[in-house]
Amino acid sequence: MKPLNTAQKQGFIRCHDCGNLIKSTTEALCPVCGHSVTARKPHSVKQTIALIISALCLYIPANIFPIMSVTQLGVAKTHTIVGGIAALIHSDMVPIALLVLVASILVPLMKLLGLSLLLLCVHYQWQTNARLFTRLYRVIAFVGRWSMLDIFIISILVALVDLGGVAQVIAGSAATAFAAVVVLTMFAAKSFDPRLIWDHQLSYE
Amino acid sequence: MYEACPECDLLLKPATPEHGEKAHCSRCGYLLQRPRKHSIERTLALSLAGLILIVPANLLPMVGIKIFGNSRDGTLWSGVSALLKEDMWAVALLVLFSSVLLPLVNLVLAFLISLHLYLQKANVHLIRWMRWLQHLNEWAMLEVYALGIIVACVKLAGMAELRFGFGLYAFIALLIVNAMLSNELDSYLFWRRIAQLSKKS
Ligand SMILES: [Zn+2]
Repeated sequence: MKPLNTAQKQGFIRCHDCGNLIKSTTEALCPVCGHSVTARKPHSVKQTIALIISALCLYIPANIFPIMSVTQLGVAKTHTIVGGIAALIHSDMVPIALLVLVASILVPLMKLLGLSLLLLCVHYQWQTNARLFTRLYRVIAFVGRWSMLDIFIISILVALVDLGGVAQVIAGSAATAFAAVVVLTMFAAKSFDPRLIWDHQLSYE
Repeated sequence: MYEACPECDLLLKPATPEHGEKAHCSRCGYLLQRPRKHSIERTLALSLAGLILIVPANLLPMVGIKIFGNSRDGTLWSGVSALLKEDMWAVALLVLFSSVLLPLVNLVLAFLISLHLYLQKANVHLIRWMRWLQHLNEWAMLEVYALGIIVACVKLAGMAELRFGFGLYAFIALLIVNAMLSNELDSYLFWRRIAQLSKKS
């Protein structure tokens, strides 16, 4: 059997957008779709690090400040993300509380930690189960959008519950920070190039 | 001719799976190809159905509530306008893009691309449209929004009377059509056809 080989080692580059295989030396633009040709996503590691750090910074205000305030019969209560989950548990909505816990806390944390782990793997050239790491990357890329759940819930509640002092829901400043965290982590996952995990694996040569 | 795996860069001989079969990368397990029967025709039909459904899903009230005799109807847009009223313009924009604009843009792009491929008509924009569709796909979050509606309704059920409007049914239908659309759209085939068409012209 022929040894496994990557396109890059054989002098080929796969176009990021259309998947066309190009001889590395000949073209600067993909002859099919016109996208600029680079073997790996350009500045993948640097961009991912920058986006993760910005997301981490915003993750703090997103959890400290109130994400919404609920007024019922003249009594206003503000909730942080964690406080909102605690309130849900108190009112016996445990499944919903779990759902919000996963979408608003576990998923963003998992994305930030997971991407950091992937970056460490690339930087220190770990000889690991690259298939497992690639799977981790796929999970991170897939679950990212589900963190928007809390933002959508707030937008629906804000629109429906709007009766002045009687009953009103107002979005808090943490909503903006949290929305930014979701967007930044989605971009971070997009800018990471999973092929970097495979490039230094010796056991697959 | 060879192709390369987009996630591990393994050089591969292109597999030729049958309709309904899947071809995975032998090294990292990436789903390389998943050919569908009549992918272009079905994409065309489904995107047209989606474009029709997106109108009532956007304009008709989805969920209404009644608290202390005061009733209120919510559409897809009312969340955006309520957030704007509270000066949360960044969140409002994000909700607008992910629940209204990008689902629409994606349907329009899928419709235009499959129409041109169906009619075998070349167009200078075809490649650009396909590229946009690929990049914008993950930012349209109708299914996340649907889960948001469910959670919001459960939260409100204790304190108010809920009413479901025709907009919600249109939204659910749109959700199903969208899921079928992304299942039927065979981007491998689409790129190959687009490359053939642009070579001819
Ligand atoms: Zn692979």
